Amino acid sequence: MTTPPHILVIDDEPQILRALRTILTEKQFKVTTASRGEEGLTLAAASAPDIVILDLGLPDMDGIEVCARLREWTECPIIVLSVRDSERDKVAALDKGADDYLTKPFGIEELLARVRVALRHSARLSGSQTSIVEAGPLKIDLAWHTVTRDDEEVKLTATEFNLLAYLASNRGRVLTHQSILKQVWGPADADHTEYLRVYVRQLRKKLEADPDQPRYILTEPGVGYRFIADE
Amino acid sequence: MRPSSISARLISYLLAAALIAAATAVLFVMRQALDTSLVALLYLLPVGLITALWGLGPGATSALLAFLTFNYFFIQPYYTFAVHQPLDLVILMVFLIVAVVISQLVGRAQAGMAAATAREREATQLYELSTELAGLHDDQDIGRTLAEEAQTVFQGERLELDLGPDPAQLICLPADASPPERPPELTLPIQAARGALGEIRLWRAAPGISSGEKRLLQTFASQGALALERARLAQAESRAKILEESDRLKSAILSSVSHELRTPLATIKASATSLLSGEVDWDSPARNELLTAIDDEADHLNLVVGNLLDMSRIEAGALKPRREWNILSEIVGSVVSRMSRQVETHRLEIDLPEDLPLVPVDYVQIEQVFTNLLSNSLKYASGGTLIRIRAGVRDGSMVHVQVSNQGPRVPEEHLERIFDKFYRVTDADRVTGIGLGLSICKGIVEAHGGRIWGENLSEGFAFNFTLPLTRDGTPPRRLPAEPEDA
Repeated sequence: MTTPPHILVIDDEPQILRALRTILTEKQFKVTTASRGEEGLTLAAASAPDIVILDLGLPDMDGIEVCARLREWTECPIIVLSVRDSERDKVAALDKGADDYLTKPFGIEELLARVRVALRHSARLSGSQTSIVEAGPLKIDLAWHTVTRDDEEVKLTATEFNLLAYLASNRGRVLTHQSILKQVWGPADADHTEYLRVYVRQLRKKLEADPDQPRYILTEPGVGYRFIADE
Repeated sequence: MRPSSISARLISYLLAAALIAAATAVLFVMRQALDTSLVALLYLLPVGLITALWGLGPGATSALLAFLTFNYFFIQPYYTFAVHQPLDLVILMVFLIVAVVISQLVGRAQAGMAAATAREREATQLYELSTELAGLHDDQDIGRTLAEEAQTVFQGERLELDLGPDPAQLICLPADASPPERPPELTLPIQAARGALGEIRLWRAAPGISSGEKRLLQTFASQGALALERARLAQAESRAKILEESDRLKSAILSSVSHELRTPLATIKASATSLLSGEVDWDSPARNELLTAIDDEADHLNLVVGNLLDMSRIEAGALKPRREWNILSEIVGSVVSRMSRQVETHRLEIDLPEDLPLVPVDYVQIEQVFTNLLSNSLKYASGGTLIRIRAGVRDGSMVHVQVSNQGPRVPEEHLERIFDKFYRVTDADRVTGIGLGLSICKGIVEAHGGRIWGENLSEGFAFNFTLPLTRDGTPPRRLPAEPEDA
């Protein structure tokens, strides 16, 4: 049997720690907990976890700061927890290297899905990349720059394809507006969310059955977009 | 009639002398035909006239001059000031007394009238000032009015009104002139019962400031002080009222909130304990039902807490929208898919034109607006009826959104108030919620620079709101078109 993935949870609320420890242990993860930022950083350095779940509202230091400090030496996935209406903090944490976020209160299924995506993503980074991403009727070939829907080719503009390719190669993960704009349009256009809105709308019209209730290119309110592929 | 300068005063004396000289010349020509006593009588004419025209000083001077010329030219022996006839002496003395008395009387009447006119003008000016001040409640407005009125009356080179250390509290008239490089001619404190509230400074070298004017400005200053004190008292009173109101509101919140929080808590507690007791079979449908109840009620609690937080943020003015270019149908779509379970009970029709421009809004906040309006419609309109979401551009500068339902109409007198906190048209017992949803919508829409209102339709009720189409005055950037590649 392979060793179970190790999750470090940094949160100052004992009830949350208790619940997460119980649930995650039940799901065959090895769980370590810390209730302060400094303690969390020390534990992370000592035990090299496979994934860190980090609450942004810590008593001793800013969660965004913890993110930045972790990123100085480790690439392990970080999932941040925060409350509603702190989109700014979520975006800041994501820009500082966090991989994903969850808004409290969250269902445990959501958390497990995020953990799975993060683990797969870091496995993909270290292993070989597949060039074909499938999502329902969609098949995206990143190497050959082709997209088919129900085996019929979908015509995309160059920018549309670049956008889709960036989303698809980060399937399951949230991508901030800024990071998408920088990647697809270049750093000079990082603030032009209007480009992104228009292109996402065009992509949805070409790819989704109902562009107003998308199933594959999801909006993360106030943060960015997430591409949902088949697992 | 107040001589305004020394030169004017000198001229009036010279004119008086000239008039007497002229009278003397005329009378001298007719000397043979006139009796001495008649001459004396005629001499009184110019004296009276001069006093009436130029006041007491020139009048008295002319009386004396007339006395001398009368004696010199008309009393024998002529061309001397000597008097031989006792009768002439009597005429001369009577003339002198009458002339002086007339000039005194006329002069005093003149001076009295001038003083009365001046007093009347002061009274008018004060009346105008106090009427102007009466309607004002703001320190700045009061200061400005006081300064402007004072400047109109005193016509200074410069007038400053200093109401505090803040530069904004210093009013200078005329505004564009730089202050003269000398101390002001007159400085008066604005003195209220609880100490000086400020200072008036007046620069006016010529004409100098008379004591009457100083007194008038002092009265102006005390009128200003009264108005300022009244304004401050009114502010303190309204603050007290606001505090009282907020106290009342707080207890309303507490009772409403504790009710609204306890209901889901009761469900959660009951479900959890019944599951813990082990009396519910592992695979009975009841078990699933209890778990779903816990999940639903937890979501409901989260919603209530979120609403309370939003409200406190709106109240504190901390609701700053992060305005980014968004597509309205994207926002509406995500609200509808998140509420898909709730909207199942009704028919939902979404009519957003494909060519609706991008709107500069905070995605999360406008999502909240749609969620609240939709929940409200679901709550009040009976099941199976139609709920419509429509939008269109209005006047080219606003997008107009309407969420309508076929629920009950709202009495006209309640239309404005439904957006108030904790306000509800129906009894609290009949619908759930704490009455914050619509006031949050109002707070968000207004923070975006839009407007929200309710409207009774021929059948049903509609919420309307508008949102501006430009951000900082600019529309979104246009993208160049691209060819579709393979």
